[in-house]
Amino acid sequence: MEEERVREAPLGWLAGGLLLGLAQIVAIALSGPLGVSTQFVVADTQLLEATNPAYVASHPLIGTPKYTELGAGWWLVVGLAVGAGLAALATKRWRVATTHVWWRANHGNSVGKRLAVAFAGGFLILLGARFAHGCTSGQFASAWAQLAVSAIPFTVALFGAAMLTARLVYPRTPRLEG
Amino acid sequence: MDITGFGIGLLFGAALFLAGLADPDKMVGTLRLRDLHALRVIVVFVLVGLVGATVLDAFGLAHWSVKPAAVASILVGGGLLGVGMGMTGYCPGTGVACAAGGRADAAVSVLGMLAGAFAYILIQPAVAGPLDQVWNLGKTVLPETTGIPRAVWTLGLALPGAIALWVTRPGRPAQRPTQPAPAA
Repeated sequence: MEEERVREAPLGWLAGGLLLGLAQIVAIALSGPLGVSTQFVVADTQLLEATNPAYVASHPLIGTPKYTELGAGWWLVVGLAVGAGLAALATKRWRVATTHVWWRANHGNSVGKRLAVAFAGGFLILLGARFAHGCTSGQFASAWAQLAVSAIPFTVALFGAAMLTARLVYPRTPRLEG
Repeated sequence: MDITGFGIGLLFGAALFLAGLADPDKMVGTLRLRDLHALRVIVVFVLVGLVGATVLDAFGLAHWSVKPAAVASILVGGGLLGVGMGMTGYCPGTGVACAAGGRADAAVSVLGMLAGAFAYILIQPAVAGPLDQVWNLGKTVLPETTGIPRAVWTLGLALPGAIALWVTRPGRPAQRPTQPAPAA
């Protein structure tokens, strides 16, 4: 049986990068730079408001309208999910998956282990993003577009930690297409 | 519903998927420096955004949202986010996009992100708030701190970046075999 390979992206690097850059330009022209991670706190705030409104009102961070109200940033994340889903359908790449090629090359078809790592990783991703005042959208792509000083320590810490971790979790390289 | 936000999200989500950033294989490949597609996409994304923002700013049309350079907090947070990204191949935006594309592990990651956000809410008053005050340079931008104009910074980053991308560009697609090689 032929060894499976990592698939090419639908668009080449230049076209893909230009399309993302266009999204950033439209965002900065119409409302504000791209950002995603704040909305996870907004989602939690909505749940807390339904169950424990007194806690929300007394909280120094989430008691403010930025978190209690659903604004442009919230609808951006809803649009993001719809846009990605439509793009996956349009390119005939929508399919249910639990693991990816790099995972299978290093850990076989261990679905349970992948889901546990996915949950723990997601936890660290958002906890870290809020400490850092933004994620790869807001504190990296958007911070560099604005030439914010905050982009420099973020870039160093993010890619340093991510490259080291990926080396430990995915030591074996699968076959790559192209 | 905010139509402008939704429309921007629609474009951003489609772009993340089509460019291959919403793909854990492409992200891990780039973090392992074995498959530089995603790295090249990210560099183009950042440089085009930078040039576009500078042009919009020159006409007074840019909507800014500069974040505080709370260096201690950013180093801790960037490190945690990096560990999570290295484990999963996702970040908040691409995790949502991959879940929408059918990846169940990404949907589980999104649940983990909601739990991580909840943990942040709980520890923000006692831990994150005070840490924010450590080595905090404020909401500042490089043109302000260095006295070098935005246009000079933009050209100084975009020009060498564009040259580096061009010099290291991968071979033309025509040079690659279009059919898989027959089994030996």
